[in-house]
Amino acid sequence: MLTAHELTKRYGGRTVVTDLSFTVRPGTVTGFLGPNGAGKSTTMRMILGLDAPTRGHATVGGRSYAAHPAPLTEVGALLEARSVHPGRTAYHHLLALAHTHGIPRARVEQVLALTGLTDVAHRRVKGFSLGMGQRLGIAAALLGDPATVVLDEPVNGLDPEGVLWIRTLLKSLAAEGRTVFVSSHLMSEMALTAEHLVIIGRGRLLADTTVTDFVRDSGAGTTKVVTPEAHTLVRLLTAPGVDITTDTPGTLHIRGTDAEHIGRTAAAHGIPLYELTPSTASLEEAFMDLTRDAVEYTATLEGAAA
Amino acid sequence: MTTTALPYRVTPARVLRSEWHKLRTLRSTWITLAVTSALTAAMGAGLGAAYDGSGEGEMDTVLFVLLGTQFAQINLGVLGILATAGEYSTGQIRATMTAVPRRLPVLWSKAAVLAAVAFPLTLATNLLTFPLAQSFLSGTDQSASLGDPGVLRALAGNAAGLTLLAVLALGIGALVRSVPMAIGAFIGLVMILPEILAMLPYEIVDDAVRHFPGKALEALTTAQPLPGATSPSAALLAMLLWTAATLAIAATVLRRRDV
Repeated sequence: MLTAHELTKRYGGRTVVTDLSFTVRPGTVTGFLGPNGAGKSTTMRMILGLDAPTRGHATVGGRSYAAHPAPLTEVGALLEARSVHPGRTAYHHLLALAHTHGIPRARVEQVLALTGLTDVAHRRVKGFSLGMGQRLGIAAALLGDPATVVLDEPVNGLDPEGVLWIRTLLKSLAAEGRTVFVSSHLMSEMALTAEHLVIIGRGRLLADTTVTDFVRDSGAGTTKVVTPEAHTLVRLLTAPGVDITTDTPGTLHIRGTDAEHIGRTAAAHGIPLYELTPSTASLEEAFMDLTRDAVEYTATLEGAAA
Repeated sequence: MTTTALPYRVTPARVLRSEWHKLRTLRSTWITLAVTSALTAAMGAGLGAAYDGSGEGEMDTVLFVLLGTQFAQINLGVLGILATAGEYSTGQIRATMTAVPRRLPVLWSKAAVLAAVAFPLTLATNLLTFPLAQSFLSGTDQSASLGDPGVLRALAGNAAGLTLLAVLALGIGALVRSVPMAIGAFIGLVMILPEILAMLPYEIVDDAVRHFPGKALEALTTAQPLPGATSPSAALLAMLLWTAATLAIAATVLRRRDV
């Protein structure tokens, strides 16, 4: 369990995070979304005690991060930039961190294996690719077998294989009962990984919701269907709340129901489908609308105050 | 997830072990240390061999033989600076402070580990360099032996002074968080500032300058202090105070400032 309570961070005259409160619960992946510069990294640094909040506080497992006697067993973190000395080997980097908590060598070897770094463990980090660097950051995060995992933009710069690996890892960590808090500026990525969403813009909370609710409320979630029997399918799917439009013959854009329902209905009536595609682009648009509004809202407030 | 009570926790001894591990697993540490020793010994031997038997009789014999520790000063200072400021430039500091969010044990451990490496190394180097240089100096006015009054004290005092300077540099590194800026500040404080201040025509400034770290190190390295010069104990005390003050300021800043 991770809680932010009225977190506020000011750097000089610039307020980066304003009155941010939210709770991240165990057992699910919570996405922390916001455009670049929204204050995601700053919030995560405040959770980890690297930056002191100007006001408010964050707790992990009921206490501030620094108050835990074994912080690495409480929270494992992957921060935005690389946090490793390039001249040290992956193994010694992890072992140095492990020594602070009395974590044994065996655990270091375990996390190296878990992240697929065993073969490069004794190479200096200097020569690591971006993906290997991210894996090492995740190995460090998992070192203390933490109850909470905080990851800042873990898929940034990864190849498709790496992205898939992170997605699977995050879901399995949550399935083990851990609290998983992961930031991203891509709604489409979070829609695939997270169940819960905390969305911020300009350092303010915009939405604290589930992916399902966000999709429904945003009016996104259009499913594109291509079928030679469009008329029949339209007749079968027509129901209150379901909105069907068509631009080219045989292509339908269906809102208000999901791909599963459409697919089952078609199968039950022997209607062939050439394409059945839930649209994530519109999800991204809904997210952009939400954050754009926030920007305008803040601008108006500042104008009124001046 | 582990459900049993974990034996893991952060303790000062563990942070110390972690910092020792960090220092010893960098190739640059061993290169710096090897170069430091080699330069001191080579300078000592070179000066001894090149000495024509007169002209430097005014100079204290230990100070003369250990002129190479000028390089040791800078080398060990850079090692100290890399231990702290180096972590900021690489980003390692975020991993370090996430593991030890109370922060201060990291600074104390870094200082302790550096001192524990620097002192035995510089002491051993000095004990080796002196007889090495003296083997060329017999019969000159710089001739002396390890058993002569003040010689062992000066060799050990030099090692202690170099160690304190390295820790002082480590404190400067923690304070300014940039390797080039810290090196500049260290060299400025130890080597340049005293020379500039010494040019001022005020008695009190001269007195103060003699207690600056670089000058105090010279006093510590002297086997036979001249009358009126800073005594070795006063010099050691001055260096201890400089280093302690720098570390104290670094600790305050480390606690308060965002990482």
